[in-house]
Amino acid sequence: MSRRLTVVLLGMLILVGAMGLKTVVVTHGDGSVIMANGGAPGPPTPWK
Amino acid sequence: MPGTFEYFVWGLCTLLEAGVVVCAAKKGVLRKYLLLNIYMASSVIVTVLRFRILTSYGFHSVEYIYVYYYSDAVLTIFLYFALASLYAFVLSEIGAERFVRFATLLLLAATALVSYSIVQQYQTRLISRFVVELSQNLYFVGLVLTYVLWGAILKLRETRARLIQIVLSLGVYFSLFAADYALRNLYPSRSSIFISLQQVIGCFLPLAWAYAFWKLPEEARMSPSNLVAVPR
Repeated sequence: MSRRLTVVLLGMLILVGAMGLKTVVVTHGDGSVIMANGGAPGPPTPWK
Repeated sequence: MPGTFEYFVWGLCTLLEAGVVVCAAKKGVLRKYLLLNIYMASSVIVTVLRFRILTSYGFHSVEYIYVYYYSDAVLTIFLYFALASLYAFVLSEIGAERFVRFATLLLLAATALVSYSIVQQYQTRLISRFVVELSQNLYFVGLVLTYVLWGAILKLRETRARLIQIVLSLGVYFSLFAADYALRNLYPSRSSIFISLQQVIGCFLPLAWAYAFWKLPEEARMSPSNLVAVPR
């Protein structure tokens, strides 16, 4: 049980870290989406 | 509208993605690194679909925008599972595969929940906004997870050269996108250069993985501590 709780805690810590990083990066961004998938030309983002 | 350079880089990137699967199959590790190869194979399929929609409807069409962002979300989820499989490889020695599976699903569900809570305030295009938000959030989760995995590799003294190459290239790949995004916002007047650069960066991961499968034998070993050691 405690191992599972440790996994949950680690997962939540990673999520908090990732969302914190995203907030720092995107707050100062131009509103475009940061993605990491291949070499296709990215269209504008109408939903952001 | 993409020009000759953009089409060339896109084509090159697709060839490299197909090359990863071919190299893995040739070296007999297609099944071992199945999720990595599923990600690369699905990237090729998505490229064919995107190219067909782009040539049929145009770059600024709603159809291309929908296909681009929805397929991107699917690819990001595949990349996330590929990353989770790398965790399973690294943590297999301490018998933690079951916990990796549990953590993978938990983190994906939590990220989806956070993404929904961000977009639920909007009245229109809720699903489309959710898809874009989830894709972006999973990118940041993947970035953090890759660095945590690198920490685990150092801590557990993992020595498999191919695995180290795959994880490090994934970390560089995520970091290059973040650096490109930061530079684009630092120098908005030159954003077109950085948008083109983003496509070139997209070729890095398939190139590095193809190299890892083709050049590095499965039994090759190295000491990751040598990579971070500072000479005195």
